[in-house]
Amino acid sequence: MSPENTFHYALSSNNAWAGYKAHQNPHFFPKLAGGQAPEILWIGCSDSRCPETTILGMQPGDVFVHRNIANIVSPTDINTTAVIEYAVAHLKVKHIVLCGHSACGGAAGALSDGRIGGVLDTWLLPLKTVRYNHAEELDAITDEKERVIRIAQLNVEAGIKVLMNNPTIREAIAERGLEVHGVFFDIGCGRIKELGCGTAHKSSSTISGDHVVRGKHGQLVFGQDGEAEIAAAQ
Amino acid sequence: MYLQETHDKVFENNKSWATEQVAKDPDFFKKLAAGQNPEYLWIGCSDSRIPAEQITGLQPGDAFVHRNIANLVCNTDLNVMSVIEYAVKHLKVKHIVVCGHYGCGGVKAAMTPKDLGLMNPWLRNIRDVYRLHEKELDAIADEEARYERLVELNVYEQCRNVVKTAALQQSYAENGFPVIHGWVFNFRDGLLKDLNVDFETILKDIQKIYNLTA
Ligand SMILES: [Zn+2]
Ligand SMILES: [Zn+2]
Repeated sequence: MSPENTFHYALSSNNAWAGYKAHQNPHFFPKLAGGQAPEILWIGCSDSRCPETTILGMQPGDVFVHRNIANIVSPTDINTTAVIEYAVAHLKVKHIVLCGHSACGGAAGALSDGRIGGVLDTWLLPLKTVRYNHAEELDAITDEKERVIRIAQLNVEAGIKVLMNNPTIREAIAERGLEVHGVFFDIGCGRIKELGCGTAHKSSSTISGDHVVRGKHGQLVFGQDGEAEIAAAQ
Repeated sequence: MYLQETHDKVFENNKSWATEQVAKDPDFFKKLAAGQNPEYLWIGCSDSRIPAEQITGLQPGDAFVHRNIANLVCNTDLNVMSVIEYAVKHLKVKHIVVCGHYGCGGVKAAMTPKDLGLMNPWLRNIRDVYRLHEKELDAIADEEARYERLVELNVYEQCRNVVKTAALQQSYAENGFPVIHGWVFNFRDGLLKDLNVDFETILKDIQKIYNLTA
């Protein structure tokens, strides 16, 4: 697709999506315009393969979101800190989900020895620290993909520690039972699993069996001219 | 246990979603796992009502995403600067979209004469946008209309901030992309409004002082 086409595509899809949503539920947009009351704060990677609301099967209004390179949580990063403050102190979310993922470019970057350049090396420093703190374990992993997965998981554990020390989060845990979860998204199968860190140390949410919930999902259909419309999926 | 229920629902939903994708295309996740090649960088608000992919119909793999309070692009924020650098230099995205929205809580909070503690340094950037456009904004009598205009001007200023980065200027000089777009999402009808930001003019404009191509 040429640049102009992709641009046209997104705006045209939005048009189709808005029409479909309003048709499906006339109250959908008036309700959204009324305000937000999300229960989840999601902190994830900017990676294009991790669209949080989609992979969680949730709707607009459900998940407050911060996404950065390699889902790094640095205690003095004012960007992430402002998001946490707003979500926890003002919106009073009930869960914070920190999500790492397989095949993470940031994690792979932290495992390489060369300099990436620009500001990225500095941003990735916390991940480098994770690498050096767990050098023995990581070096023992011969498969490169597995090593990238492991450092990404250790990165979530490190991020959870930073979150658990955040004063606003500590207060919310003590006062109203805010839950903090470390999870991992496997791009190879699309599934999220709990890493057993945060407020719930042991995973209690592993889903067993193959039960599938069939929802009324919309499906985008594209014509050759790049125009999109939404049809109800079976 | 109410909390446990919402939490379990998330995992249940995720499983349904993954199963559904495989039913539609057995190789869906295999292809995703092979790598990402997004054409878009989306810089949007953290607001829960604006999931970038759902409102644009973009699929997993299409848009690299950064979301923060009030979709700000601050010069000294290594978080967003890393995202821009990675998206432009390494992923070579073709479009950068800064997407704001009417009714933005962050923009509203910044207009409140109140000490918001830890959020002050972040929201200060929105107050600076107001100051840059003080005359125009002060001339709008209706409070709601003034606030909506501030949302648009904020998007416009953040687009300018993207153009001021070395990564953008160098890539554009070399490849002719990415191009910058300023959009505003409207909850009332679910539609995106293109502010038709004049990218070429902004670039020429800012390069008198902010030229980082050399
Ligand atoms: Zn990643
Ligand atoms: Zn907002």
